[in-house]
Amino acid sequence: MTLQDEVRRAVAAVATPPTAKGTAGNPRGTTSDLTIDETLLLHSAGWEPVDLVYGISWWSIPWGVWQWATGEVQEASAAFAGAMDHAAKQLRQACDQAGGSGVLGVEVGVRVSSHHISIELTGTAVRRIDADSHHFEFVSDLSARDFVLLVRAGWWPLGVAAGASFVIAPRRSAREWASQQGQNVELPNLTQALYLARERAMERMQSSGVAMKADGIVAVKLREGRASSSVRVIQFVAIGTGVHLRTAAHRSIAPEMVVPLDEVVREFDVKSLRSGKGE
Amino acid sequence: MPPTADNLPEAANRRLTGGAWSSGLSVADFASGVDMGMEPVGYVQGYAVMQWSWYMATGGFGMRSGGFGGLSGGWAGTPQRRGQYVEQWQCPHGFVSAEHRMYGANYELTWLEDSWATGWGLAIERMIDEAKELGATGIVGVVDAMRPLVGGGTNEFRASGTAVVVPDAPRLATPFSTYLSGQRLAKLIEAGFAPVSVVATLSAVRMLGYCITHYQLAGSTAGAWYGAGASGVSGVGPVDQVNRAEAAARRLARERVRAQLGADILHGATLERSEREIGEGDLSIQCTLKGTRVRRFKDFDPLPDASPVVRLG
Repeated sequence: MTLQDEVRRAVAAVATPPTAKGTAGNPRGTTSDLTIDETLLLHSAGWEPVDLVYGISWWSIPWGVWQWATGEVQEASAAFAGAMDHAAKQLRQACDQAGGSGVLGVEVGVRVSSHHISIELTGTAVRRIDADSHHFEFVSDLSARDFVLLVRAGWWPLGVAAGASFVIAPRRSAREWASQQGQNVELPNLTQALYLARERAMERMQSSGVAMKADGIVAVKLREGRASSSVRVIQFVAIGTGVHLRTAAHRSIAPEMVVPLDEVVREFDVKSLRSGKGE
Repeated sequence: MPPTADNLPEAANRRLTGGAWSSGLSVADFASGVDMGMEPVGYVQGYAVMQWSWYMATGGFGMRSGGFGGLSGGWAGTPQRRGQYVEQWQCPHGFVSAEHRMYGANYELTWLEDSWATGWGLAIERMIDEAKELGATGIVGVVDAMRPLVGGGTNEFRASGTAVVVPDAPRLATPFSTYLSGQRLAKLIEAGFAPVSVVATLSAVRMLGYCITHYQLAGSTAGAWYGAGASGVSGVGPVDQVNRAEAAARRLARERVRAQLGADILHGATLERSEREIGEGDLSIQCTLKGTRVRRFKDFDPLPDASPVVRLG
């Protein structure tokens, strides 16, 4: 059957009421934020999307914790951990309710303000096509493509591992300030604050992985820099997917080498024409 | 007079019957569409400009110490819908002062949701009317948006897409519509899904914080304010009222879209959230959920395991 025939068949299907086959075993209709490529790839690995699921949690931070001190803002770090845990539990609950076995492609939204931290997790619950029953197995911020590759290599995702730290950099003394004027020199107080935040955040992410019995954490994403609420607060957030090896050893996925033959498209470069030289 | 199903502007009628077709597709998507047997017949559009306010210009929210007595019968000036989401919170402290927020509530902004549905629906309907005028089978590559048009008091809803004809296909009473085009649409159909229509919804929840929520959002939970121990709210903890409002906004969006799906599937869903702070401790949370409603018309062909490749060069 040609693609044109398939299109005509699809149009005919729109003209007729949906059948139970269209429900993918889910009488209430499926929602998914996966692309068609991801849906196809998942299907080739024996999985299908079930429902769009989410978890969101705001945790409060008391007034004044961002000032008058140096070192880590314990309250903010604790609020991050609490909100992440709460949001992940909601996601897991939503996955269970939807009849999914796991959640893939979780987008992690983190917002830090003076008085609260909010974590938003949104992903698509998925399940095995041929399984009779479904029990919760994982949450992952990996894409469907990465999930399929991971599983093929003998590994299995467990959950989203995360850690965060917020550190107030110490002020420079008047002498330090004066001696550094007009020079491009390192500011050790800010470097040290960044390192402290980094160590704490990475350690917490690792502990979070250990707690879920992960062998390691893959696809770690870092978010670091100044916290928006204060010029002297350095934030460091680390998020990844905890994985463990399900097979006796890592299985090579043995990728095939391909050499694409399509030409690189050269774009018209106005600047080179004006100057008469290549840029 | 705004255009309706039977009342396209005269200029539109002239343009649509004018001969050469137009298309909003990229060259790649155009070529892919023609390969699929979808012939473009016109770049169709629909617009609706709505008078707009994110806040309802009525009183009724200033009764903090007096309570929201009218809640069960409807907020002052706030239209009620059967089964709409409403939750209330009560201060655990008793009377403290006239400014103390003794009551709080989360409730669905049905008038805002209805306004959005009207504006979006009109734009989509008008776009589809143009496609019908062209005898189109469907509209591909739909793009829709909402933005302020003139000043802050108006919002423009717009929808556009490329109307296509599929020769020898059954005539549809309403052309199908999809956000997809080109290769993505081809893959969707090859995978056994027929695009039915674009679907979208906005859910909106207003949160009027009671004292605890207000303290939490203002960061004043750590002090020894009256009743902190009794209420069990510490400096660092979940802001329950906001969390309930956030969850409700998402749940409502998903339920509303699901109501438009029947037994079909929502493909390529995008969920966008926005928030407006109305005052200290008061929020309005909006969620927009949209995607393409698709119908499975054949089973998945068994797909071979995808081969991993490394591109050289």
